[in-house]
Amino acid sequence: MKRKSISKDHYGYIFIAPFILVFLGFALWPIINTFYLSLTNMHFINHMGFGVSPDFIWFANFTDLFGDPVFRRALTNTWMLWLGNFIPQMLLALTLAAMFSSTTFRLKGTGFFKAMYYLPNILMPVTIAALFMHYLTFHGPINTFLVSTTGILSEPRDFLNLITDSRVAVMFVQTWMWFGQTAIVLVAGMTAISPSYYESAMVDGASQVRMFFTITLPLLKPILLFVLVTSLVGGMQMFDIPLLLSDGPLGPPDMAVLTVNMFMNARRAAPAFAIGSAAAISVVLFFISSFIALILFRLFRTDEQKELSKLAKKRKGATQ
Amino acid sequence: MNAYKLKRNTYKTLCYIFLVILFLISFLPVYLLFVNATRSTAQINAGFSLIPGTSLMENWQIVDGFGLDIPLGLRNSLVIAASSTFLTVYFSLLTAYAINVYNFKYKRFFYGFILAMNLVPMNLYLIGFFQYMHMLGMLNTLPPMIIPAIAAPGAVFFFKQYLDAALVPDLIQAARIDGTSEFGIFNKIVLPLAAPGAFTMAIFSFVGSWNAFMGPLFIIGGNTNLHTLPLIMQRLQGDAFRVDWGAIYLGMAISLAPVIVIYAIFSRYIVSGITLGSVKE
Repeated sequence: MKRKSISKDHYGYIFIAPFILVFLGFALWPIINTFYLSLTNMHFINHMGFGVSPDFIWFANFTDLFGDPVFRRALTNTWMLWLGNFIPQMLLALTLAAMFSSTTFRLKGTGFFKAMYYLPNILMPVTIAALFMHYLTFHGPINTFLVSTTGILSEPRDFLNLITDSRVAVMFVQTWMWFGQTAIVLVAGMTAISPSYYESAMVDGASQVRMFFTITLPLLKPILLFVLVTSLVGGMQMFDIPLLLSDGPLGPPDMAVLTVNMFMNARRAAPAFAIGSAAAISVVLFFISSFIALILFRLFRTDEQKELSKLAKKRKGATQ
Repeated sequence: MNAYKLKRNTYKTLCYIFLVILFLISFLPVYLLFVNATRSTAQINAGFSLIPGTSLMENWQIVDGFGLDIPLGLRNSLVIAASSTFLTVYFSLLTAYAINVYNFKYKRFFYGFILAMNLVPMNLYLIGFFQYMHMLGMLNTLPPMIIPAIAAPGAVFFFKQYLDAALVPDLIQAARIDGTSEFGIFNKIVLPLAAPGAFTMAIFSFVGSWNAFMGPLFIIGGNTNLHTLPLIMQRLQGDAFRVDWGAIYLGMAISLAPVIVIYAIFSRYIVSGITLGSVKE
């Protein structure tokens, strides 16, 4: 007896329908719209957003952007600020992960430390930026501490009005927010490595440091790739922290911490209201981060594939 | 052997010193924020203090007098975060369940598409969304802040993996034989079964929505009646208020407090959830 009614597979369509409808209307169409807008000179006249019917101008927005020193500044700043946060964050996270997962030390209270290092990551970035901005102002508590309390500096330093200092401040806050998260991800990767590798290395008399560089790091490659790509994609979109840590939409002093997204927002909002240009910035940013992510995937993957094909060959040889 | 032990213990002590220093760096700025919320502006200007002050009420009166309406901001944040969290959790689980249990055409394509969407930065969608919502006359209204939560590719990916491990096909078959409807199976069996994962997802989704700044700035930035706490914080940090630091600190403390309370209770859940859903954002 064939029971035709047993197949409930059409429910699959019903269950994914809400996702698909909302996705098409509220995500896919806006993305297509961004690409379309980037090829037009759409702009609003005022806050009410009354638009002028836009002209299709092909790639004029893009050529304008790359001819604009402010945009190039934003682009180099974004890379600088990302690297200046990613490198220390990674070094810290690797050190911490090595400590946390070490079987020789067996440190106590790692759960507590992990929880505390992760804390800055879930706090509102806007508030964090406002907080550090106050800490670092000319009359702020850090200057008071450095000058009056400890006498490390002879006079207060205007951190947020100095180009290098304000950049370092953004890098510090970003590192502060992300090192715990990265450390926790790395610990998960390290504990997944089979202890037998370390045991045999120890029998051979390898040192802790050596084991870290010859066993842990190579086996951690996929996780490192994941951390690198997510940090890169996120870092290219840096917005809240530099915007609120500096004192204006273009990241003063002298656009020191102006990021691409801040520039995009400045083009979108008053007084420019240049929607087409803002869309072009989003598109450029998307292509840059996708392109770099793709290269990274390739670099890491070919290595793995090489190893896999080597293994496959060996196995073939063994069975023959 | 003794020399080895001594060496190991020295390293261990150095480790602990390093960990404690990093703990202070992570924790102190936040602790000092809450302390400053209870101190007067004059005390704050005099420098850091580890001991709370007694000016909490005065600070509240000042911040209330700014006309920024923080209680309204709290309510807006809560409404948006709670409803978008509910929609994300329910519909992402539903979508993941459909992929997991039913066989339908283009399923593999659909799931592959969801995975690919995980990698698209939200930045790409924001300006198109902004102009589109303006065109529909929905800019500065609540729906565009909430409805998109139904389609959250990252959450679908998380639940797909979760259900792969947690769902037993026999259970669904048994329920079908008992005559339970397909929606009934999802609501009465799958939902409770996936509750721990749903809870982890809910926390991350809530915190993400609570802290979001750029999206709300674009979509409801022009309507102060709908401003969420991050938007109010941005206004609070503006020049005009930069005299009454005690009040500003209290505003900052209010914006962080709910998440800190959640974290104090569920930090174990959250820390172990980071790696579970690590392919999102």
